[in-house]
Amino acid sequence: MRTPLTGALAAGLLVAGAVCVPSLRAQAPASPPKSTIKPVPRTPWGDPDLQGIWSSDEEAGVPFERPMGQTKAKVDGMELEVLLEEREHQRVDTASAIFGLTGGGPPHWYENWGRKSARTSLVVDPIDGRVPPLTRDAEKRQARRPNPMGSFGAGPFERPEDFSLYDRCITRGLPAVMFPAIYNNNTRIVQAPGYVALTHEMIHETRVIPLDGRPFASGRLREYLGDARGWWEGDTLVIETRNFSDRTNYRGAGAHLRLVERFRRSHRGLRYEVTIDDPHTFTRAWTAALNLTPGRGLYEYACHEGNYAMRNMLSAARVAEAGRAAR
Amino acid sequence: MRIRFTGAIVGLAGAAVLTLAVMPIAGQAPQGGRAGGRGAGAPAAPAAPAAARPAAVARPARIAGHPNMNGIWQAMGSAYWNLEDHSASATQFWQLGAIGAIPAGQSVIVDPANGMIPYTPAALKKRDELRAGWPKSDPEAKCYMAGIPRSNYMPYPFQIVQGQKDILFVYEYASSNRIVHMANHTEAPVDSWMGWSNGKWDGDTLAITVNGFNDSTWFDRSGNHHTEGLTVEERYTMQGDNVLIYEATMTDPKTFTRPWKIRMPLYRRLEPNVQLLEFKCVEFSEELLYGDLKKK
Repeated sequence: MRTPLTGALAAGLLVAGAVCVPSLRAQAPASPPKSTIKPVPRTPWGDPDLQGIWSSDEEAGVPFERPMGQTKAKVDGMELEVLLEEREHQRVDTASAIFGLTGGGPPHWYENWGRKSARTSLVVDPIDGRVPPLTRDAEKRQARRPNPMGSFGAGPFERPEDFSLYDRCITRGLPAVMFPAIYNNNTRIVQAPGYVALTHEMIHETRVIPLDGRPFASGRLREYLGDARGWWEGDTLVIETRNFSDRTNYRGAGAHLRLVERFRRSHRGLRYEVTIDDPHTFTRAWTAALNLTPGRGLYEYACHEGNYAMRNMLSAARVAEAGRAAR
Repeated sequence: MRIRFTGAIVGLAGAAVLTLAVMPIAGQAPQGGRAGGRGAGAPAAPAAPAAARPAAVARPARIAGHPNMNGIWQAMGSAYWNLEDHSASATQFWQLGAIGAIPAGQSVIVDPANGMIPYTPAALKKRDELRAGWPKSDPEAKCYMAGIPRSNYMPYPFQIVQGQKDILFVYEYASSNRIVHMANHTEAPVDSWMGWSNGKWDGDTLAITVNGFNDSTWFDRSGNHHTEGLTVEERYTMQGDNVLIYEATMTDPKTFTRPWKIRMPLYRRLEPNVQLLEFKCVEFSEELLYGDLKKK
């Protein structure tokens, strides 16, 4: 499903690249600015203070993997103009196409989608910006999975379990919950002595992460968001998460998934990086990154409470079945 | 020319539809199915260097001049079944034997003195109807967010995350949570399940005004209810290190003839490595909510 779009984007970028080479040459390379980074604020108990509401809206619209043909991790000048225009077209088209579909809100819900980022992929390692190939074992597992697209797939929709965990308002899972979705791309960080809590607006879930050096909980205890422990490396918050439920499925990774996340203050907000490791699934560990900027607010996302779509989709599937049976 | 143009539009729309299929789950692989190979080999990403692991963090008695209420807390008693005095009784779930019975409990209502919720006659009638419709009428059975004050005395722990700024309450039940705005108090922008919490320190008591509720949460499993006009005035006061005295005063003129107040201790969970676990109950509610629409 990804390929046709990626191809179109890549073609657009190639054309754009050819057109704007002279103007790029004319541009003098900017000398690195003098450091304007303010000292990292501290909590009263001495930890770096990362508290606040942080949004990934500016990174929405950046492809997760770098489109084929694009070689730069970041573009600027005319190339950036063209890229942003492409994304704006994509946003407008998508917003109008999604209107009226299950889960698709009115066009103004997507106003903040894909505006500014000059990055060409969220994946930063490997340097080609693409998720490493799956292991053969994982490929086989993926091929056996029924209805992997949930409500965006072809079904059959016989019972709630035929929908994705996201459709069912159970979780977006990790690290997916960190990456921009169509809206509500906010994370609130609250700190206390020995703890950091991350509340993700979409679907509403909070990770409360101990920083006190305690060991991981038993591996027999499995959770959708895994078991997390954190620590500080200088001014960087590091969180390691493991013991995921085998019902988790992040790009084919499940119970063996292990994440190492890093949060640090940057000149405009927070820099976030996550290394995704599962030797059962990926041929090597890989890393994606986001620049988070101050968010404007975070509200209650009562996903399950308002999940009329589940009843409607199941009901439609039963009606369709009855129609086929009558024929 | 026109045909080609239309073709381009259709192409674009197609791309848009594809995007919309991918966009909401960008960065998220489709869910479902079982993962987890059986192969050998330890994960390769570097773990924390041992030196980076901190020693146990001391718990200061006060934070930014205020009592330190950080911790994992849980109520005892059976207020979650019924805030009022109630004798032990059976439920319809005879298959569970004694496990399915409701334990007795004394009222946690300290005002009015009779320990009963001062309903208007119409609201009392509604309470009895809701009670008769239990459990399907109960938002807890549907895994809906429980609102305030109910979330604080459910049979699940919750954690207070208190720094020097806004204070976060994280509930194990249904992954629900609420932020208490300690500065920058504003009106609720919209009605919600967990309400809108503005807090302040009244001496050593954390005082929180919660309103902006919808009309869909209950106070317990016995049909005790309110409208969207509910205001809850909460007070949290430490009594020693391991007990938090919790008080909540409910005002809702559409439901009650006068304000009423509950009081109960919340106890610190003292197990050395206690942590909030997941109780993502959606999956436990789906048969109740959608079972009639499954393929027969």
